[in-house]
Amino acid sequence: MSDATSMKTPMKRVRGLGSAKTGTDHFWTQRLTAAATMLLALALVVVLVSTVGKDAVAARAVLAQPLVAVLLLLFIVSGIAHMRIGMQVIIEDYVHEEGAKVIALGLNTFFSATIAVVCLFAVLKLSFGG
Amino acid sequence: MASQQGSTAAPSVNGLAYPITDHTFDVVVVGAGGAGLRATVGCAQAGLRTACISKVFPTRSHTVAAQGGISASLGNMGADDWRWHMYDTVKGSDWLGDQDSIEYLCRNAPAAVYELEHWGVPFSRTEEGKIYQRPFGGMTTDFGKGIAQRTCAAADRTGHAILHTLYGQALRNATEFFIEYFAIDLIMDEEGRCRGVVALKMDDGTIHRFRSHLVILATGGYGRAYFSATSAHTCTGDGNAMVLRAGLPLQDMEFVQFHPTGIYGAGCLITEGSRGEGGYLTNSEGERFMERYAPSAKDLASRDVVSRAMTMEIRGGRGVGKNKDHIYLHLDHLDPKILAERLPGISESAKIFAGVDVTKEPIPVLPTVHYNMGGIPTNFHGEVLTKKDGDPDRVVPGLMAIGEAACVSVHGANRLGSNSLIDLVVFGRAAGLRAAELVTAGERHADLPKTSADLALSRLDGFRHASGGTATAELRMDMQRTMQNNCAVFRTGDVLEEGHTLIHKVAGGKDDIRVTDRSLIWNTDLLETLEFDNLIAQAVVTMDSALNRQESRGAHAREDFSARDDVNWMKHTLAWLDEKNAKVKIDYRPVHTYTMSNDIQYIEPKARVY
Amino acid sequence: MVQLNLPKNSRVGVGKVWPKPAGAKNLKEFRIYRYDPDGESNPRTDTYFVDRDDCGPMILDALLWIKNKIDPTLTFRRSCREGICGSCAMNIDGLNTLACTKGMDDVPGVVKIYPLPHMPVIKDLVPDLTNFYAQHASVEPWLHTSSPQPEAEWKQSHDDREKLDGLYECILCACCSTSCPSYWWNGDRYLGPAALLQAYRWLIDSRDEGTGERLDALEDPFRLYRCHTIMNCANTCPKGLNPAKAIAEIKKMMVSRQV
Repeated sequence: MSDATSMKTPMKRVRGLGSAKTGTDHFWTQRLTAAATMLLALALVVVLVSTVGKDAVAARAVLAQPLVAVLLLLFIVSGIAHMRIGMQVIIEDYVHEEGAKVIALGLNTFFSATIAVVCLFAVLKLSFGG
Repeated sequence: MASQQGSTAAPSVNGLAYPITDHTFDVVVVGAGGAGLRATVGCAQAGLRTACISKVFPTRSHTVAAQGGISASLGNMGADDWRWHMYDTVKGSDWLGDQDSIEYLCRNAPAAVYELEHWGVPFSRTEEGKIYQRPFGGMTTDFGKGIAQRTCAAADRTGHAILHTLYGQALRNATEFFIEYFAIDLIMDEEGRCRGVVALKMDDGTIHRFRSHLVILATGGYGRAYFSATSAHTCTGDGNAMVLRAGLPLQDMEFVQFHPTGIYGAGCLITEGSRGEGGYLTNSEGERFMERYAPSAKDLASRDVVSRAMTMEIRGGRGVGKNKDHIYLHLDHLDPKILAERLPGISESAKIFAGVDVTKEPIPVLPTVHYNMGGIPTNFHGEVLTKKDGDPDRVVPGLMAIGEAACVSVHGANRLGSNSLIDLVVFGRAAGLRAAELVTAGERHADLPKTSADLALSRLDGFRHASGGTATAELRMDMQRTMQNNCAVFRTGDVLEEGHTLIHKVAGGKDDIRVTDRSLIWNTDLLETLEFDNLIAQAVVTMDSALNRQESRGAHAREDFSARDDVNWMKHTLAWLDEKNAKVKIDYRPVHTYTMSNDIQYIEPKARVY
Repeated sequence: MVQLNLPKNSRVGVGKVWPKPAGAKNLKEFRIYRYDPDGESNPRTDTYFVDRDDCGPMILDALLWIKNKIDPTLTFRRSCREGICGSCAMNIDGLNTLACTKGMDDVPGVVKIYPLPHMPVIKDLVPDLTNFYAQHASVEPWLHTSSPQPEAEWKQSHDDREKLDGLYECILCACCSTSCPSYWWNGDRYLGPAALLQAYRWLIDSRDEGTGERLDALEDPFRLYRCHTIMNCANTCPKGLNPAKAIAEIKKMMVSRQV
């Protein structure tokens, strides 16, 4: 209890800045993305298995199919969203210094966004670019 | 703590100065059990600046252990009337209760229970969604004709449910709590008015002096004067002892209730509600012996009657177990579903403390010290009384007492089960109402007498540096053994004489007491010594009052005077303690043989048969 | 970062080994955390030997025996000795529980006793629970109603009353909250299992009209959502309650008022 010795009342410390009136969206999104990622991962396993033994050109053709590409895009969005908010919880749990926390949360978002854009770009390139 | 007015150094005591922190309040309540919290809430709602001092966190007070229920003639389970409740209480008290106070209690009981329900107590429910009520010992309908279902219950955790709810209400009313403060002594002025209280803050050892217009003592009973008690370790009657040291009397201290069903060995309580739900007692022959002692009420006779019957059976060689020294309580014939719904707590207790599965085996039980009918004499407003200049009802200004600490007297010589929880809330509320009449919020305080903290500090300092040859625990054990052996369910002149000698000897041993811990932070060695000092004062008074009363009435059963004697003994014992000379002075107050209103006539004494 | 190691002045040293009681045949060894706030010294563990033939069966009986017969300075809270007041919560043999309902025979070998974890220690086995109590108070543990009060009781169906079972029995012993790693790391902002169990006890009470406001107050990434279903709370509760389930029910209520 950081400021246990301060002159504030215990209730003042407990109430702090008040309820953020948020958190349920985060909680719900985490559950939804978890379920979605799990299902999409299963589908992707099937896709990956179907590429076994194929050469690079044939494999690229599989991944460029519209249905497969959409599944891949969904997987990337859902998986990285889940990763980001999961990491956010871990940072909030363990990093307590305000500055370090804000930086870590920012980096978490930047990292996730970068990874997401790179992955999305790769899939789109497979589908449209060649 | 916004109330701190600044610290001053105390006058030097034994060459040592204790820093004192001063507080000023309209009302100070000592004790945060059911009665203390209800009074605190009442005072706070009346706009009085109220402090509540407690040596334990409020929800740890012993009200939390009350199981069976709280009596009130709601009539949810069939016809009921507060007059029937009053008749039962008078009969239960063996006509030693003051009938004006009993009328006040029983009339106000239903409103008090509804108030608790409105505050959120999770009472068990009937099919119609009303508060569930169960039968309890001595509770009848139509002036003794049928069995009443009058005891409102939250399963078998009613006290817990009520105490936690009252604590919630205290929070809601932004009560100023002083938690883990140990009250040492009252501040009395030359005119005999109570002006406040001195307490020790346990976590830093500082002394706090509370100045107030009114002190309300709600410090509970002193069950720990005995070796085997259902009472918590903290039930040391600190308020009673403070009153004795203030030169005021305690009333009816010879009346100590033995609960029929304490778990053999551990002493933990098994609620009377277990018999209310259909449980029964058997001896070694498997006989339901209560049918012999109380043909109509049987196992639901009054507690003193059942405890004596059990003791007679054990004495007659019909006890159960290896040493034939206890009795069985059967619940194994009851529907396990009912047990799970209505008696879950005692099912768990029996498992933990007796290793018994109540659905299959009986619980080994023994009459165990449970409740003190005696205490600080008060009227039904909660104001403390003393006898002075021939006036037996002289009010002590500035001082009130409620709950088990008080002797209103509604329980007389024997309390009925479930009448204590209602006592707490009805008289806790009454004290709040009276306080609102007596005190104007923010009223100016006269200066405290210069010596205000001397009594408390010299006591504290004396024990803090006590370096005699006998540890507190040894003396405490001697006291508890003496009370258990010489002031038990049955009493005789010889045994009480011996007890008188022994207990005074234990009290004399205080001069040679030893405290090992010298610290001032959470010094429980010192606190237990202060508590022992409180207990022994009450033990002495109890023993001497018992020796003095030459009749049998309620919980006081004298084998050498086996009948009730209304001609000579229909009166309250008052006992003063002169600690220096180890003398108890005894006098009497008449029992109030009148009621509060014309709605019911005085209930004339008659033979007490269940 | 969260502090994973004890600060230097809190590291526990080896304390005194108290002599065995003379003539005792049936001994049980206790190693008990001691901290003397008056001195500068670090906490230590003292070793005591309890004569089982002279002592009751529970851990609390042993602590009282030690205090009465060996070392009166040993300090701990206790009151009802029957598991209903919640005073004697401590860490026994690695598990938070009540000393009064924990049998000595349930602990094989040496009995190791520490104060409730991750709380400031006042002395020996006495932790400072101020923050814990304030958290309980912050959930407003009283009935909220705005309808006119009935003359008699608020009606409540048998089934609605049953929903309070497993919730109202909480004794505020703090075993659950102090066993929760999430509470260890974020006890200043996470309300902890005990306070949330209490919050749910009022949320689910059919008589309470303040459900919405109560949920509003809990809707917070820290106050409620720091629960990561670690389940230590349910595992340790000496009354057999399940705070984790209550918290999950609150989360369900939160979701169902949105979707």
